Amino acid sequence: MCEGGCKGAAKGRPDMKPVYPRAASYPQYAGLVDRKNAQVDRQVFVSDAVYQAELQQIFARAWLFLAHESQIPNPGDFIRTSMGEDDVIVVRQRDKSVKAFLNSCPHRGNRVCMVDAGTKARGFICNYHGWSFGIDGALRGTDGKVYEKDQSFEKAQIGLTPVAQIDSYKGLIFATFDPDAPSLAEYLGPFTWYMDIMLDNDPEGTEFVGGAIKSEIDCNWKFPAENFVGDILHAFWTHQSGAQAILGGGVDLGSRYDELAFQASVYGHGIETNLDKVGNTRTLGYPELVDYVFDLSEKAKDRLGELRARAIGAVSSCTVFPNFSFLPGQNTFRVWHPRGPGKIELVVWTLVNKSAPEHIKEQYRKGVMMTFSPGGVFEMDDGENWEYSTRVNQGFVTRQQPLHYALGLESADLERDLPGHVHKGSLNDANQRLFYTRWAEFMEYDNWTDLQSGETAPPQKKAVEAAE
Amino acid sequence: MMIELCDSSAIGEGEILRVDVDDFPAIAVARHEGALYVFPDRCPHADESLAEGWLEDGRVVCGVHFAEFELGTGAVHNPPVGCPNLSFFKCEDRDGKVFATLAGGPVNV
Ligand code: FES
Ligand code: FES
Ligand SMILES: [Fe+2]
Repeated sequence: MCEGGCKGAAKGRPDMKPVYPRAASYPQYAGLVDRKNAQVDRQVFVSDAVYQAELQQIFARAWLFLAHESQIPNPGDFIRTSMGEDDVIVVRQRDKSVKAFLNSCPHRGNRVCMVDAGTKARGFICNYHGWSFGIDGALRGTDGKVYEKDQSFEKAQIGLTPVAQIDSYKGLIFATFDPDAPSLAEYLGPFTWYMDIMLDNDPEGTEFVGGAIKSEIDCNWKFPAENFVGDILHAFWTHQSGAQAILGGGVDLGSRYDELAFQASVYGHGIETNLDKVGNTRTLGYPELVDYVFDLSEKAKDRLGELRARAIGAVSSCTVFPNFSFLPGQNTFRVWHPRGPGKIELVVWTLVNKSAPEHIKEQYRKGVMMTFSPGGVFEMDDGENWEYSTRVNQGFVTRQQPLHYALGLESADLERDLPGHVHKGSLNDANQRLFYTRWAEFMEYDNWTDLQSGETAPPQKKAVEAAE
Repeated sequence: MMIELCDSSAIGEGEILRVDVDDFPAIAVARHEGALYVFPDRCPHADESLAEGWLEDGRVVCGVHFAEFELGTGAVHNPPVGCPNLSFFKCEDRDGKVFATLAGGPVNV
């Protein structure tokens, strides 16, 4: 702090510009995913070193889900969330745009916002020494009695650290800490064609209803992410009894499975769907909801085309790489926030069409609580599996043992004209292999040119029209 | 003695303007429901600028720690610990100019 001597008048003034960390290259970790033999080394679920590399390579670079526009409609409305382990405030501005900042005071680092969400905030005052920040993140004032008398104090260049880029796709707000990241549209690529099944099946768009439900699960964040990216296989075993209890029958992928079911993957984002129309919606337990979705998919044919209209309520699941997942039909949207290699904080919301009648929104909300909340039938089924899949690897010998990700190695579907890497059948490890391939690309590449042109990049083929 | 501060047209409804006058600390001029108010541009809490705050429901809100002062009485609401009331200068609008009595310090109007 005293270079050049401490007596001189012109001391080095602090450089308070935001710092966006640089990526590196970790081929040794990329190698933990054995693409040739369809295997994943268990180190990726337990190693602290790998986890730290994930924070740097993935969570400090990827576009991460922050909030739905409907959660913060008015200036000053805000929610607190995380990007990786970084605490972030998301605030609606007076000009209606949205900004997001690190929730950390540039003075001594204290958290400036303590609550989860709020409306019409005037700003954020740090609890420690009272520095005050506007909803635009700029330092508004400190203690004028002290700082105004200090000639060297440069208020103008101090503020909360903004995310490097922020953007939204059909109501969903995402951000990245990487100034060099491609646009959100490029990051999602043609996967938006599948996201539209939920986000654009109605002209009035969507909203989140009810609050956010938070819970903790002692598992590695990749287990739930890979589960939603393409593991319907587990439903036949894990969820069989829950399905019996709610439906009076087992999990059913529909009579046209062989012909219709598929998995698709773009840049590691993935969807598996059985196109059975209402299989997921049925599990919420309300016959009226099922009628609503039948109706909706009939109407949505114009907007989405026949195939995607069948997917609105079907047995299906999605993950947007790395840790944002949702279930069409059950309408649960969630982020698996990493909290160390062996823990996640799970935040879940319920998405509905704005135009849906009130009692339908209510049934979605309650239905999701019964199935996919911490006390929900299916969530409890899943959580325990992920915890043990993680925890057993504490065993030194156990974690040397191979894992099998090889279901459906020969199932690539080169005929079907759909966006991304398409595989036949939803009972398949294909999307999970591509999820880990994407993970390995993030570990290996320090630049976006390589990241966007690797194995997971969508194959070049005839563009699929949004409305067939 | 009243001295001239600025054109009264410079202060729109609901606005606060900072005015620098020779020999006096910075002054703030605000307009609420047509009436003018003149007060020191210095928050009684920790000296930050009130002109950088805003008017809301007949109060001056300090943008730094959100103390609120009633226009007219100066009574403080939502005070940070130890924050006194705000005081105002006598002022009037003379032919489109804002005049105020600054000497002797602010008094409550
Ligand atoms: S740490 Fe925030 S004001 Fe000191
Ligand atoms: S400086 Fe105005 S409230 Fe603190
Ligand atoms: Fe499950």
